[in-house]
Amino acid sequence: MRWAISDVPWVNRLLRGRWLQWGITVFTLAVFVVVILTGLFGTPAGNHNFGIVYVWLVWWALLKLVLVPFLGRSWCSVCPIPAPGDWLQRRTMITARPGGKLYTIATKLFRKVGSVGARPWPRLLRNIWPQNLSFLAVALFSALILTSPLATALILLGFILVSLLVSLFFERRAFCRYLCPIGGFVGVYSQIAPVAVRVKDPAVCASHTDKTCYIGSDAGYGCPYSNLLQKLETNTYCSMCGECLRTCNRDNIAFYVRGPGADLLNTRGRRLDEAFNGLMMLGAAFIYSVVLIGPDSWLKVTARAVGTPAWFVYAAALLAFDMLAVPGLFWLCVRLGQALAGKPKAVAGQVAARIRKGDSLFADYATALVPLGLAIWIAFTLSFTMTNLSYAWPALSDPFGWGWNLFGTADMAWTPYLSGMIPYLQVPVLLVGLILAVALALRTAHQHQQPSTAALPVSAFCALAVVGLLTLYMA
Amino acid sequence: MKRSELFALLIVLIVLLGLPAGLFGYQVWRLQPAATGVRIVEIVARVPEQGGFSPDRLRLQAGETVRLRISSPDVVHGLTIPGLGVNVDEIYPGKVVEVDVTPDKSGRYAFACTRWCGVDHWRMRGVIEVTGTAGAPLPAEPPPLFQQLGIDLDAVPHAAHITPARQPSASKGAGLNVALPAEVSDPARRLILSPVDAFQRLRDDPVNAGLSDDDVWNLVAWAWLKDAQPEALARAETLYARDCAACHGPDGKGGGPAGKDLPGMQKMDPAMPKGPANFTDAGTLLAASDVLLQGKILRGGMGTGMPEFGSLYTDEEMWALVAYLRSFLFKR
Repeated sequence: MRWAISDVPWVNRLLRGRWLQWGITVFTLAVFVVVILTGLFGTPAGNHNFGIVYVWLVWWALLKLVLVPFLGRSWCSVCPIPAPGDWLQRRTMITARPGGKLYTIATKLFRKVGSVGARPWPRLLRNIWPQNLSFLAVALFSALILTSPLATALILLGFILVSLLVSLFFERRAFCRYLCPIGGFVGVYSQIAPVAVRVKDPAVCASHTDKTCYIGSDAGYGCPYSNLLQKLETNTYCSMCGECLRTCNRDNIAFYVRGPGADLLNTRGRRLDEAFNGLMMLGAAFIYSVVLIGPDSWLKVTARAVGTPAWFVYAAALLAFDMLAVPGLFWLCVRLGQALAGKPKAVAGQVAARIRKGDSLFADYATALVPLGLAIWIAFTLSFTMTNLSYAWPALSDPFGWGWNLFGTADMAWTPYLSGMIPYLQVPVLLVGLILAVALALRTAHQHQQPSTAALPVSAFCALAVVGLLTLYMA
Repeated sequence: MKRSELFALLIVLIVLLGLPAGLFGYQVWRLQPAATGVRIVEIVARVPEQGGFSPDRLRLQAGETVRLRISSPDVVHGLTIPGLGVNVDEIYPGKVVEVDVTPDKSGRYAFACTRWCGVDHWRMRGVIEVTGTAGAPLPAEPPPLFQQLGIDLDAVPHAAHITPARQPSASKGAGLNVALPAEVSDPARRLILSPVDAFQRLRDDPVNAGLSDDDVWNLVAWAWLKDAQPEALARAETLYARDCAACHGPDGKGGGPAGKDLPGMQKMDPAMPKGPANFTDAGTLLAASDVLLQGKILRGGMGTGMPEFGSLYTDEEMWALVAYLRSFLFKR
């Protein structure tokens, strides 16, 4: 069941037009500028610095609680970080260039037949492994970044610099699709969103050889995320920027409202890099819960003490937990499930085909981690941000901590929001996440011709994660 | 270039260039004397390990109104400038506290943090030098009383050879209706006398032959507390809670949490008293004259990490605090 909301005329005009997306992007760019300035020049006290409050509390809460669950990867379409690179590649801001032509330094240096001017991203790196690694790299310093305005400003400046450099050499939004540490997990979790941009009729695409959605046209640019729409099955790499709506001259692409999690129903043929992202995010949620909102302040101090021997121990523990312990335990559960399943029902030919396609049980079972991981991150975000979100009011009036009172809210006292309700929100969210995870584990087993018992170990893994996290929060 | 592109470019330039210029311009404008009518001095209060007050030395002119803008980048600090009547209880990290001061006469005005912001909190001091309108040099201050009397604050610990069997009571001493000799009764002369010396004088006086030792100690307690005004003791109690209790403990027994880690104690001379003084220890405190106690409060040191408070307290506050310390041993 899906409803093409873009068929509503005014919605269609809004989505095809460029001013809305551009306007929101410029607004987020303005916020970004203030974040950088306050990070560099404002008070180092994080809870009174606009940069910390509006990035790690307001934006993070918005991303985790609203944007990703309900609008998928739409944040990426208005993110200020790739915007300058986009504008430089397009040499325009608000209008389409004839043929959707993009410019990069590589246009001059590496022009290739078949390439739209710029150099494509190296084939070897066309996966989200670099994003997984960049997320882990950031995670090592997260306790510092989340509390130090200067560190936040520097890391965001680093992102925009790398994004700009990448856009100078590689076509489209290569940084967003392949490198951005946020984009990786936002993409994976956006599969749960009840919205999607998809083709209306695949048969029309099959007969449409121009592929304007991919290469661009006079009406717009080729997909910034290098998606070929007729093959787009999940939200993972789609920011719903609307570029394909503009460029499809067959009117065969629509913005759909659909059942949540529709992308997850097919658990076959999942990718290992995305599976690892789900596992890594699960581990990170645990570590953040313990370090950032746990009762032991020395852990937070250690995580902030970058470069000290204690921090190296913390970093090693984080990497070992995220890269070995959690994936290792999950792998064991999948193997145990296989053992419980006994001899696979699939005939030899099917198994051989599966191997050829790289169809991995490990990766496919990890589909269950998408709703679970998102639920866990929502639970974490409820604790982490709602407690401190009231800092947004003083920081709005006094962004630098210089004693301003622009909107009369500078002296508003810290008040934890929803403090009594948070456990009552966390428990159902986690339970819904667990139920969906178990359902997906069962679905994976069935889609792999395994009996339901094969899903037991992975379901137990998910239950263990929820119980562990609840224990942490209740403590 | 299309008009829409020009418009978009203009908006983006405003965001990238105009917004920073506007923000910084606003701050520069705010700090102009023309906008505020007074000179503004920014003081950043950091934990002492990171530098304490910055700047920690200010030069003002008598009669000049200055707005102190105090901020903290790390923990909650406080600020007191006793000589100028400034007391700021809380300077929260990321917030700015503004205080206007107008010193009306020249002199040196110490300022200090009043919150236990770290183990070296007591180092967090500064001074405001106020010169006359012509900028004349400040006159030299007279040496403190303990120096004038040649008392060595760092001499071996004082110890009383006689101590009371029960806690002496000033009210009971007053009830005895005994005329005290001038050297004990007169506050100015009593300054150099220790309570145990006073006890000995009174005990040796044949007039008091009929009194028990407890009664004589009650007389001593009365002598020491009779001149302390309740308001002064109340002020001293506040100062004690603010500045002393963290090391000496709220009960005066020397068991305050901050006293355990004072860096000075780790390097102290073995002959020096270990840790913060116990004001309920009769053997120690009854052998100390008021001048000795005042000197220790005033100068600090003694190898124990005791900070100096001479620049922070007025004379009245100092003597009131000495009387308050006596009240740990003497019932009022």
